[in-house]
Amino acid sequence: MASFSGMCTCGQVLNKSRVFLNRISPSTVTAHRGIHSRKRHIKPLLLQLYNRRIKEGPVPEEPRSSWLNWNFDAELYAFGKRLGEEFTDSTLKKAFTHRSFVEKEQSKIQDSFEGDEGLLDFQSNEDLISSGMTLISDYIKAYLRHHYPSFPEEGISAVHDYLTTDELLAYIALNIGIKDLILSADFPASEETLSKTFQAVVGALAHDQGMERAELFVQDFVLTQLIGKDINEMWSIVNPMGVLVNILQKQERGGPEPRLLFQSGQKSILSVYVVGIYSDKELIGQAPGETPTIAEEMAAVDALKRLFSTEDCRTPLSYGDKGRKLHIDRNSENPKLQNYVELKEVEEASS
Amino acid sequence: MAGRIPSGFIKSALHNGVGRYVNQCQRITLKFCKEHGDSRGMRDFIEQELLDFTRSNPGVVMYLQPRRHRKPVIVAEYLNGYKENLYVPNYPKDEICKWVEHLRCKQGMTPMRLRKYQHTDNPSIQGIWNPFTNKDPSANVTTYPNPNVRVSAPESATDRLLKLAQELREKDN
Repeated sequence: MASFSGMCTCGQVLNKSRVFLNRISPSTVTAHRGIHSRKRHIKPLLLQLYNRRIKEGPVPEEPRSSWLNWNFDAELYAFGKRLGEEFTDSTLKKAFTHRSFVEKEQSKIQDSFEGDEGLLDFQSNEDLISSGMTLISDYIKAYLRHHYPSFPEEGISAVHDYLTTDELLAYIALNIGIKDLILSADFPASEETLSKTFQAVVGALAHDQGMERAELFVQDFVLTQLIGKDINEMWSIVNPMGVLVNILQKQERGGPEPRLLFQSGQKSILSVYVVGIYSDKELIGQAPGETPTIAEEMAAVDALKRLFSTEDCRTPLSYGDKGRKLHIDRNSENPKLQNYVELKEVEEASS
Repeated sequence: MAGRIPSGFIKSALHNGVGRYVNQCQRITLKFCKEHGDSRGMRDFIEQELLDFTRSNPGVVMYLQPRRHRKPVIVAEYLNGYKENLYVPNYPKDEICKWVEHLRCKQGMTPMRLRKYQHTDNPSIQGIWNPFTNKDPSANVTTYPNPNVRVSAPESATDRLLKLAQELREKDN
């Protein structure tokens, strides 16, 4: 820079002073100790400024849209392109506009032009949120029923509830770049706002591109969150042995008979008991445990997993190319666990 | 003492690419000076390459920010909130092309030392091991030796050696 023509000198001087004021950090202050060519007032000044900055606390987060380099229309266009979807500008804009934002803008206009209602063409995204949420909910359930046809309806609902929590949807929304585009009164956007905006974006996609594209969007972004998760852990069965008895009875098979298969290290802290459950002399589940009671309960859970076809070695869910070729039956519904329990209760009452 | 470089494991955002691939770079800002020499390469890039770049990457928003007499810088912002500044004074156009492409392809992970080049959340697919893992319960009621249960190899190494020796002896005779 020094070799550059004299035209630049003024800028350099300005730059130097600016740099000096910007670099308010303790390291700068201590680095110049002992250099007497510096003005002696500089150190106390910088120290003072530094301490004031520390006392002030962290700078509150600014919305990205308040920056100089921000073009909302370009961002909206890129948002759709990035996700590989074709949105209409007006629908996408509507999906990001929350009611709170519209109300805030309207009150601003009313304050500036007293009595005049103003011409606001903002539409809020409530209908898109509700249509998006219905679509997400229906598709998740249909997709899960297709892959786990023997898994009880209660379990399907538990996995569905896990996937549609505000926390998870907000996490997805954050990672596909929804956060900066939200037009809402609250800042920084809460989990609820993020989650609702995601639902509205799905609704907008269904509006612009049809149900099928929107469902594939849900498959690619929401259902992929099941990777590496065990669906059996999302739904806990209170009395596994009781449920197993009911189910076997309904299927007209012999009742469960727990048998001790192996044991080792009794009366030690490393004891292990392996219990197997037989029905009609056929092994339907087995599990290890520290005590025979624990092992029996775990074996019942294992037998249920096998009955529901949700064991650990099950086929992975279909995503990507496989997911595109799915033919999902929307009207099917899985058997309800409630039915088995009721059956037992009815029998007990009659006897 | 300078802070240690954080370490961690490789990770992808939202299982990217399992369903569909989403480019993680969401916007790039090119800051440059309109007259200073060290922004020459950046200006050439803007004049000759920028439109092609935006055409082939519609998902990345490009901003141009001229600033008087300051170093040219490429600022890339990623979907996970990570932001990277790359100062490119006196860089020729070709190098700027490569750096912009590099920033576009990154996934925006905080710079860290990778402890391993592979990672799994589920290291075991068979669950917790116990002394009877994969042991068939029918072994409890089998009497040995049993022709259906092959306890060891049909022919031991000793047997095989003896057989070979026998064959050699016969050949010699």
